[in-house]
Amino acid sequence: MKYLARIAACVAAAATLGGPAEAQDFPSRPVEVVTHASAGGGTDTTARTLLIRGRRELGVDAFVQIKRGGGGTVAMSYASGKPADGHTLMAITPTHLITMARGRAPIEIDQIRGIVRSTDDPIIIVVNKSTGIGTLDQLIEASVKSPIKWGGTQAGGIDHIAAITFAKNSGAKVAYVPFDGGGGIITNLMGGNIQAAGLNYGEAVDGMESGDFVPLAIMAKERLGALPDTPTLGELGIDGVNFSTVRGLIVMADVPDDRVEFLEKAFLKAMRHGTYQAYLTGIGLDSGSVAGAAVWDAQIREMYENIHDTLGELGLRK
Amino acid sequence: MDILGGLVEVVQPATLLLIIAGTVAGVLVGALPGLSSSMAVALLLPFTIYLDPIPAIAMLAALYCAGTFGGSITAILINAPGAPPAAATAFDGYPLAKKGEAGRALGMAAVASVLGGVFSLMVLILAAPALATIAYRFGPPEYFALTVFGLSMLASISGKSAVKNLIGGAFGVLLATVGVDLTTGVERFTFGVPQLYEGISFIPVLIGLFAMAELLEQAGQKDRPLERFGMSALQLPGREDFKRVWKTILRSSGLGTFVGILPAEGSTVAAMMGYNEAKRWSKNRENFGKGEIEGVAGPEAANNAATGGAMVPTLALGIPGSATAAVILGGLQIHGLRPGPYLFENQPNLLYAIFFAMLIANLVFLAFGLAGARYFSRISLIPRQFLWPAVFCLCVVGAYGVGQSMSDVYIMLTAGLAGYFLNRGGFSPAPIIMGLVLGHLVENSLAQSVILFDQDMTRFLSRPIALFFFALAILSVASGPLASMFRARRAGSGPEK
Repeated sequence: MKYLARIAACVAAAATLGGPAEAQDFPSRPVEVVTHASAGGGTDTTARTLLIRGRRELGVDAFVQIKRGGGGTVAMSYASGKPADGHTLMAITPTHLITMARGRAPIEIDQIRGIVRSTDDPIIIVVNKSTGIGTLDQLIEASVKSPIKWGGTQAGGIDHIAAITFAKNSGAKVAYVPFDGGGGIITNLMGGNIQAAGLNYGEAVDGMESGDFVPLAIMAKERLGALPDTPTLGELGIDGVNFSTVRGLIVMADVPDDRVEFLEKAFLKAMRHGTYQAYLTGIGLDSGSVAGAAVWDAQIREMYENIHDTLGELGLRK
Repeated sequence: MDILGGLVEVVQPATLLLIIAGTVAGVLVGALPGLSSSMAVALLLPFTIYLDPIPAIAMLAALYCAGTFGGSITAILINAPGAPPAAATAFDGYPLAKKGEAGRALGMAAVASVLGGVFSLMVLILAAPALATIAYRFGPPEYFALTVFGLSMLASISGKSAVKNLIGGAFGVLLATVGVDLTTGVERFTFGVPQLYEGISFIPVLIGLFAMAELLEQAGQKDRPLERFGMSALQLPGREDFKRVWKTILRSSGLGTFVGILPAEGSTVAAMMGYNEAKRWSKNRENFGKGEIEGVAGPEAANNAATGGAMVPTLALGIPGSATAAVILGGLQIHGLRPGPYLFENQPNLLYAIFFAMLIANLVFLAFGLAGARYFSRISLIPRQFLWPAVFCLCVVGAYGVGQSMSDVYIMLTAGLAGYFLNRGGFSPAPIIMGLVLGHLVENSLAQSVILFDQDMTRFLSRPIALFFFALAILSVASGPLASMFRARRAGSGPEK
């Protein structure tokens, strides 16, 4: 018994020793970031890179919890089933928003709350040079005569929704051709089977450098640092078409405000560090990708509205 | 410069070690009856995630080459082909062993395999980049035609009944439809299970069908006492033998490479054809089946030549040239490499690295095969109660490892159970796997073509490459009935002469 008491005393001492340094009671245990994609993919790598410095800023250990399946459904059920105490975060992408908008997710848009944006990779409208199209106006004009064959990923995915929303707001006629993954889009755009596509900068850069691809416009509110001469759709008079491959962290909406603020500060600081910035540069992005809760939360909701409306028009919403 | 770059990539100590390890493992696994090279590559695949792409693919390719050879050791020594492609080798290899000439047969098998393998690698290095350049002209309509051709070849993919092969292939295509449809965004056959939204990934199915099903099969059998023959000293083919077989080896190498390049058809078919052609052209035809050395050289050169051939469409077009190549294709995709024309542009070293890895594998198994054949043959003596539980662990870990998802493990177990009963019913796993891989392509490329053609299907006629493959597909389906019609007519007109 004496022995046990001694152990108990040691544990208590250790607890108080650790205590003063972090006077707050949050976080009190390891923080987990739930992802929906397989190890080694873009979301996984972003989350892991973010956590390298994130651990230090949080003052506790942090790890990536992969819950694959159902376009984020499995991850969302898992995260929403955990206590809303700020120890469970989720990395989300447009895929999650689409799953929610289609009514297939266990949670709704109002149940989540954005913390920080970690990457923002806007969609660029690109055409094959051999089409002879050099401006967005020419693209729209040509499409009225015969619909533009526009390549992208899976029907009902973000590329599809972006293309359809663009067509709706600009008056262009688009025949959307879905491909299995980015490689097929690039090959077919290069080979002339399709005339246009919405690509991320990293996907389009080789073709733009070789001169085969011509960037026409960016689906974002601001121009891209790497393409200073390419206008945004807004500048060309087409509003409300802002789509990008965004990734960021969210928590469930019930998490207390002070904890959300703590997490936002910690992760913003972690992402300003050279480790994360070097990662962004490596994937063709810049520090503009990083944003705080206000910007990120508003972006989530705006994208969700756009997705929701377009899916309804496509007949893909329950 | 690319060729040097490829060589540099491979001649890294770690990569060389992995290639040698892959080769030795391949020979061992190949020698084990029941464990085929498809299965070995499938089991190893998940463990290569943490390697760099080039060492990973090099190791898988080496395993593929060596596994195809390994099967012939036990085929010759104990009449138990270690893998299906070696079945034809046993026809004459085992009689030779019975005559006390096992050393001669093994020596010939090793040399013929290497010659066949090296021949097909030369073709790979020449044909793949050429194919990749025209691959820019491979849009959805061309892919559709090519996949239809691939599916039409399924009838002859394994030695089993053509009808059952086709049913198996169709079943695979059906499995490919599970999940959210690419072109409509509609869910199909998901039964509300979120884990099925993204479809059935083929690696767990593959591990289940090849490894798990075989495990169940083997678990139901007792250790059978094997008759073993004392081995004479191993000998390289002498001048006499060489004179006798060089034509056979050359013919089989060409034939094997060609069969390998055809989508879906792999080493097993190549070996059977290699044996039949060796017999047809031989002066010693009546000696076949009784211990004819040409009957060893023919299938061995052909089955190894098929390995290099199978890599050609796999790398250049992303259409697997054989069931094992389908697994290697999965490996490329795990490492984020998309086979096709861009692969050679973005990874110019990769083709040469694979080439050198397979070349080294051929040389290593020649050395190991000659020096260690008698020891390798002992692997078949491992008691089943130790071997198969180990395989089971690898199956589960492998299925989980790729996607870190328990649902993949359940898919693997289901596929294993299904595979066991399908096997009992005379269905082989190879057409199902090919159906699953080609199913996605055939459906998506058709849907894409229809959009590109503005719903006008007659515009397929304006695509020459597509027409070429459609013609091949018709030919491959019609060749069977045509041949028997021809034979019947000849037989009918015979007596009048």
